[in-house]
Amino acid sequence: MENIKQNPVVKKLGFNRIILFCILLLMYGVFSVIIPGFASMDRIMSILNYTYFLGFLALGVTFVIATGGIDFSIGPVMFCCALMAGYTLNTHGAPVIVSLIMSIVIGFCFGCFNGYLVAFVGVPPFIVSMATMNIAKGLGSVFTKTQSVSWPQGNDPSGKGWFRNLVKVGDFPIGLLIFAVAVVILYIVMNNTKAGRYILCLGSNKEAVRLSGVNVRKWQMLAYVICGALVGIAAIFFVGAYTTVQPGLGDTYNNEAIASCVMGGTSMAGGLASIGGTVIGVLVISLLQEGIMALRMTKEVQMIITGIIVIVFVYADVSARRRRN
Amino acid sequence: MGEVILTMKNIDKSFPGVHALDHVDFELKRGEVHALMGENGAGKSTLMKVLTGIYTKDSGTITYEGREVEFHNTHDAQAAGIVIVHQELNMVGDLTVAQNIFIGREFKKGFMIDDRKMIQESKKLFDELHINIDPKAKMSDLTVGKQQMCEIAKAISHQAKVIIFDEPSAALTEKEIEDLFAIIRDLRKQNLGIIYISHRMDEIKVITDRVTVMRDGAYVGTLITDECTKEDIINMMVGRVIYEDPKTHSMVPADAPVVLKVEHLNAGKMVQDVSFELRKGEILGFSGLMGAGRTETARALFGADPKTGGDIYINGKKVTINSPEDAVKNGIGYLSEDRKRFGIVVQKTITENSTLATLPKYMSGLFINKSAEKEVTERYIKELDTKTPSADQLVVNLSGGNQQKVVIAKWLVRNCDILIFDEPTRGIDVGAKNEIYKLMNRLAAEGKSIIMISSEMTEILRMSDRIIVMCEGKKTGEISIEEATQEAIMDKATRDIK
Repeated sequence: MENIKQNPVVKKLGFNRIILFCILLLMYGVFSVIIPGFASMDRIMSILNYTYFLGFLALGVTFVIATGGIDFSIGPVMFCCALMAGYTLNTHGAPVIVSLIMSIVIGFCFGCFNGYLVAFVGVPPFIVSMATMNIAKGLGSVFTKTQSVSWPQGNDPSGKGWFRNLVKVGDFPIGLLIFAVAVVILYIVMNNTKAGRYILCLGSNKEAVRLSGVNVRKWQMLAYVICGALVGIAAIFFVGAYTTVQPGLGDTYNNEAIASCVMGGTSMAGGLASIGGTVIGVLVISLLQEGIMALRMTKEVQMIITGIIVIVFVYADVSARRRRN
Repeated sequence: MGEVILTMKNIDKSFPGVHALDHVDFELKRGEVHALMGENGAGKSTLMKVLTGIYTKDSGTITYEGREVEFHNTHDAQAAGIVIVHQELNMVGDLTVAQNIFIGREFKKGFMIDDRKMIQESKKLFDELHINIDPKAKMSDLTVGKQQMCEIAKAISHQAKVIIFDEPSAALTEKEIEDLFAIIRDLRKQNLGIIYISHRMDEIKVITDRVTVMRDGAYVGTLITDECTKEDIINMMVGRVIYEDPKTHSMVPADAPVVLKVEHLNAGKMVQDVSFELRKGEILGFSGLMGAGRTETARALFGADPKTGGDIYINGKKVTINSPEDAVKNGIGYLSEDRKRFGIVVQKTITENSTLATLPKYMSGLFINKSAEKEVTERYIKELDTKTPSADQLVVNLSGGNQQKVVIAKWLVRNCDILIFDEPTRGIDVGAKNEIYKLMNRLAAEGKSIIMISSEMTEILRMSDRIIVMCEGKKTGEISIEEATQEAIMDKATRDIK
């Protein structure tokens, strides 16, 4: 066991990441055996639909958690983006492309707002994001006059359904390609750019980074801005797959996104983040939610299982770190 | 000295990859102060952790009061009468002194905590120790020295027979150290066995009866303090002769230009109207007692804390420094007294720490040029003789001295002309200390200018070309190295204290 952990390839990928990936495969195997017809292309496409939007949320919040912060507003902000952009599209007849950009811009603005308050004003991230969560819910409801918003179907006569091609064209999952490209870019941002380096370092010891002559506030704010923009993109993939958005919801996705990060090895204390780990975490949760649905169990059962997985992985990570020290 | 109370024989302990204790022997008598010495990582703390049950030994025997014992946790050890006074104080600031002393074993009256009895008992304890502390005072209102006294009182209240002091004097002033020694002498008279861990050679000579030296996890030998010299102990610790010679005269040429001029610097109560000049190639010592405002002056100068007034000139040109960013841009580097909090990012690698202040230089386009970064890091690992398997090592895994070298490397990579070294050798063993002295002298010779804040008088006298003394936030004196004596500095350092 120790030998396996010391293997350079294993060390690079992270032992817990590999275990999590094995669990993912195992889960898929178990679901395929106990649920007739689970191992089908339809199911995989359905899982992927969930993966896209949850993935963008989780990747975004990975940056925030890397700074040692937290963002509980991502789910409701995603819904707020989808509501406001969709309402503008349907009611004011805006072109689809304008609505899509609008969604990203709204997310971006929420990110700036959160980031500014945390980094420059010094309000604790927990409080800021709790407040933003309520603002996002309220804003979405007020803007749409508390009506749910349905984005155009793919076969809509107006031709406005073309944005669904971002998710899939026929049976081909275009979304997977876009998501993969995004993951690669974000991996590079996190590990090979100044932004990622400063974000990780300030998450570990903000004062030491400040005393090295780095403008820590700027970089701390940037993490929230990146998160916000990714939440705006998540909104596009949400409506691309699920069409209808209700005002006043979105909280559950916070927990699932944060759970994905944490089980993937991103430390809640800041300073350590794994983009790859987050992606595997998102896949685990997407698969779980599909499996639970196929078993005709309720969302609550999924919550219990997610909770247990998170605790097990956080415990494994924390105790591994303690042994190392 | 009385009969032997504690014998540790052939103690062996390994961690994955490290042989931490290699068949170590140790013996303690009643009524003895026994120094345990060795460089950082020599195994002193590990040995004490084995004794008090924090670690389980792999082999060997511990005989205590004539019986073989094995403690499984500090509670067991405490119950048997072996207690540690830790280097970091474990006190709850918002509770009173009495509440802290009896924490975890409060006296009760029915369901209620009996505060009055705890206060009485604390008073009794303090009287026994001849210390004057109000048991009702809030812990956070006491000085570090007084807090330490409380920690000692707490230890004794456990009916201790063996007390271990782990670097007790690290944060104390001269006066407080004297009080501490008075207490230790008292305890010795009461026939307690005392183990005293410290890096400060002078203290060992003053307070201890015997010295046991460890090196690289192994037992080197035990000496009777009165019969050996400082050099004997140092040689046993490092196996070689060390230390730069003290300076007798300034190494700065008379015509060296002024690189930094600070005028009427003000920042709160701790920095009042401080003015000084720093010349090219000079090591300017800042001396004074704890809380004299030296660190605060450095931080205000560096832009780490806001200042309320004052002008700063670099190479004759007035500059605005409102943040560390400004300071670094102007070629100033700051090595903090508190390495862990302000110096290093412990969970990151040596490379990431080394280029932290210079990252924009190591970019190719949008991306970090990792090979260039690694190259410069490896160069400084070699140059500073940092002991590490590779540049990818996490800083948390390095010893104190090597961590300090990483922080120094960060500023050398930045090529700062003005370096502020705030307690550069705090918590660093003698061997590494000397390397840092050598390095500072070399940097000064290369034309860098250094402000060195130090609470160790010997360090100030050994390193400085000129000395500035501070007391209670004010500059109280400026002494050239030729005229400097301990007495002259002490006189100025205590000038404003009534």
